[in-house]
Amino acid sequence: MIRLEGVSKVYKGSVTALREVSAEIQRGEFVFLVGPSGSGKSTFIRLLNREEVADSGRIMVAGKDIGALRSWKVPYLRREIGYIFQDYKLLNKKTVAENVAFGLEVIGRPRNVIRKQVPAILELVGLSTKAERFPDELSGGEQQRVSIARAFVNRPLILLADEPTGNLDPSTSVGIMRLLDRINRSGTTVVMATHDRGIVDTMRRRVIELDRGVVVRDESRGVYE
Amino acid sequence: MYRLWYYLRETVLSIWRNLSLTLAAILTVAVSLGLVGASLMIREGAERATAQFQEGVEFIVFMNPDADLDQDAAIRHVLDTSPTIESYDYIDKAAAYDEFETLFADKPELVESVTPDVMPPSYRIVPTDRSAANVNELARQFSAQPGVREVATATEAIRQIDDFSTRVSQALLIAAVVLVGVSALLILNTVFTAIGARRQEIEVMKLVGATNWFIRIPFMLEGTIHGLIGAALAIPALFVVDNEVLAFFQESDAVPLFRGFAVPDGYVWDTSIWLLILGGAVGMVGSAIAVTRYLDV
Repeated sequence: MIRLEGVSKVYKGSVTALREVSAEIQRGEFVFLVGPSGSGKSTFIRLLNREEVADSGRIMVAGKDIGALRSWKVPYLRREIGYIFQDYKLLNKKTVAENVAFGLEVIGRPRNVIRKQVPAILELVGLSTKAERFPDELSGGEQQRVSIARAFVNRPLILLADEPTGNLDPSTSVGIMRLLDRINRSGTTVVMATHDRGIVDTMRRRVIELDRGVVVRDESRGVYE
Repeated sequence: MYRLWYYLRETVLSIWRNLSLTLAAILTVAVSLGLVGASLMIREGAERATAQFQEGVEFIVFMNPDADLDQDAAIRHVLDTSPTIESYDYIDKAAAYDEFETLFADKPELVESVTPDVMPPSYRIVPTDRSAANVNELARQFSAQPGVREVATATEAIRQIDDFSTRVSQALLIAAVVLVGVSALLILNTVFTAIGARRQEIEVMKLVGATNWFIRIPFMLEGTIHGLIGAALAIPALFVVDNEVLAFFQESDAVPLFRGFAVPDGYVWDTSIWLLILGGAVGMVGSAIAVTRYLDV
């Protein structure tokens, strides 16, 4: 599903974010990216979504060499990839249901599809009763559920998560992880960058550890350290 | 259908949120296109006023409408034989009436008040020597002939009209070009502000895989609408120029030729359509620059 071959990325000012990184992630895997701040976790994720372009090496996502992808095709790649963030990135002027519907509207899904899928996904994330609320009326955990609903409503092949529990307390985080686990079990590949030792140690999934842009550890059923 | 509705909704919302800049952009478009239109109409008016004197015609011998055939033949004989005459055109009563009809097309009451019968037939004459002294001398000779009502020489009047109209329309056009540039920049800025106001939404749209065109179209529509509304506001100004400014010259007695200083209503409408096209184009270009500069993946 995802393959990196000798990928390097250097930012302006010669900060090396990734150096000769190679990794392969199979369909349906759940992978934690761990490592200290500045180790290159976010860059790893941003490269998969083609928010960034690698300086060298090759990245295959869902069978496409995304370095060679024409820029007009990038949106179609992103429709295969859900993306969630530490800060949720919800639109505060839209309700929960509108936020989720927005993700379908702007890729041109017909209205009858939207009307069917939005309630179904809100049911899945456990927010059916809060569909008409606005994001700032919700708790952090609920807001993250909305963002997961928006990322998953289009049934992407891959779900990328950049510190999704970074702003949440441990018990709320557990709920979010249960949800991601459920999504993963439905066949979606999940790649999650995290600092959360407790979560990684509890879940016992594959762990890729980065340090100063280099992969220093890659083990299945791993722990944080 | 749904997508069209989406574009319209987003466009209208964005204009509403950004009302003061939008109004500034629209008014600048209106003023600049109003000047473009005024310039075009003054130029057209001048061309019509001097239409009789195109292609080297230096003076016109107007016959009395009731001049008899002998008098006419005498004039024609001089024209045919004199070495000082290069060529001439004879405008008979019917042709004179046709021309009068065209020139005063927007004054039907004036056209109705005359018949071909009362129109003076005329000779439009191209002399071999076009110096003012020679033309004046020839004019003097012809006006002494029997059956001649008057001789109009081109030199003075034409020079005045050409001078006046060229200067005014060029000044207006320069101002207009500058202002069209300013309005494109204002539209660019308005659209840029609109993009800024929706930065978060645009970020989410890109993340979930909206295409660039899907993101761009509402903003380009917005700029185009600014241009079109501005052009629409400029159109009434054209009618004011037609009814007030051109009419003022027509009624002034200072220069008799200004009486022909008119444009038909059809020309005003044609100009209006051009202004709409120009306005839409200015808006589209301004907003296209804004979206390509600030909206790429």
